[in-house]
Amino acid sequence: MESERGLMRRVARGDEAAFTELVEGYGPKLLAVARRLLGSRADAEDAVQRALLQCYLGAAGYEPRWAVSTWLYRILTNICVDELRRRTVRHAYAAAPPAEPPSPFDAPGDAGRRIDVARALARVPREARVLLALHYVNGLGNAELARIRGISINTVKSQLARGKSILRAALAEGDPA
Amino acid sequence: MKTDLDRLLVDYFQPEPPAAGLARRVLREATVAGREAEDLVDRLTIAATPQGISLIRPGRQERVETAAGRRLVDRAREELHQYFQGQRAFFSVPLDLSSVPDFQTKVLQAAGAIPFGQARPYAWVAKRIGHPRAVRAVGTALGKNPVPLIVPCHRVLKSDGGVGGYIFGTSVKQRLLRLERVTPVLEGCTSTHIVCRVGCPQLRRAKPANRVVFASVEDARSVGYRPCRICRPSQAA
Repeated sequence: MESERGLMRRVARGDEAAFTELVEGYGPKLLAVARRLLGSRADAEDAVQRALLQCYLGAAGYEPRWAVSTWLYRILTNICVDELRRRTVRHAYAAAPPAEPPSPFDAPGDAGRRIDVARALARVPREARVLLALHYVNGLGNAELARIRGISINTVKSQLARGKSILRAALAEGDPA
Repeated sequence: MKTDLDRLLVDYFQPEPPAAGLARRVLREATVAGREAEDLVDRLTIAATPQGISLIRPGRQERVETAAGRRLVDRAREELHQYFQGQRAFFSVPLDLSSVPDFQTKVLQAAGAIPFGQARPYAWVAKRIGHPRAVRAVGTALGKNPVPLIVPCHRVLKSDGGVGGYIFGTSVKQRLLRLERVTPVLEGCTSTHIVCRVGCPQLRRAKPANRVVFASVEDARSVGYRPCRICRPSQAA
């Protein structure tokens, strides 16, 4: 099987089939991260499309010392984080409602529980939320999370621990038992 | 070992399939990307006094400038190029608005207070300058903005959501709003751990691969970054 770095070399040469293969491999994971960070499916699709466009146009600048996933998630989280900044400014001006919670009709499993998790996650500080999303969508380890967000491994550990602790407390508050 | 919380989060963050044809849509967009906007800067007349930029108008004309004015014009053109490439979220070149009447100066200051990537109605500007009924006069004052692009009159829209007029035409106004929507405002350098406004000379030295976007200076601080002392991002975000 061709390595991901080899795939990226082909994308850098403008190989559209290689790009399609990359999108098929990463599209669902990128969308899951964007969806859980941004709330709405439409905003998430837009963010993923912009990230993939940057990836395609900037493929020549990809450095093979990085895993392809690191590079892709860096681009995607940069876009999502900026969208979150824009919302903060917009809400301060317009007092618009927060992003839509996940619809109970669009996901399998315990819809009520998923809404609880969405509400609990909203209490987690942004940087920790980004790390949690990357960690749980793709099982990324601390070293890769550190490279994606440009922070130290110790900071990753402390942010994840803090995020989980806030989540646990928020979920416990919601539990009647 | 996985805890209940881990299992809950793994389930919550399940990958989900994107809409069909994602790669095809991106490839189609890639063929038109990059052709927009950039050419506008080379078709501008920019004039300056020794104190600052005093005029920006469509159509390139050579003007006689002092040496100081020439330097400011070159700097403005460079900042505008960076802005159109999505590499600048603020302008630092000085302006000379000394010949602008008081009312218009207030209107331009109010427009300048609209954050990068945002838009406000004409009525918002009128209210902000203390003349809530002067919406039409605000529109006229913005229409005569001597330094469009740098004073962002393109961020002022009609109250019904319409784009409103613009000296370079409404399609350029829409392009600018779209450009600002996809240009980040705060970036940190992963090697220096300094967070800057996009366009800061300190950040321009960092390779694109060494940049991460932050939503606020506080977020950046929370993961070990400090604000730049040159561009002072706390004042912007």
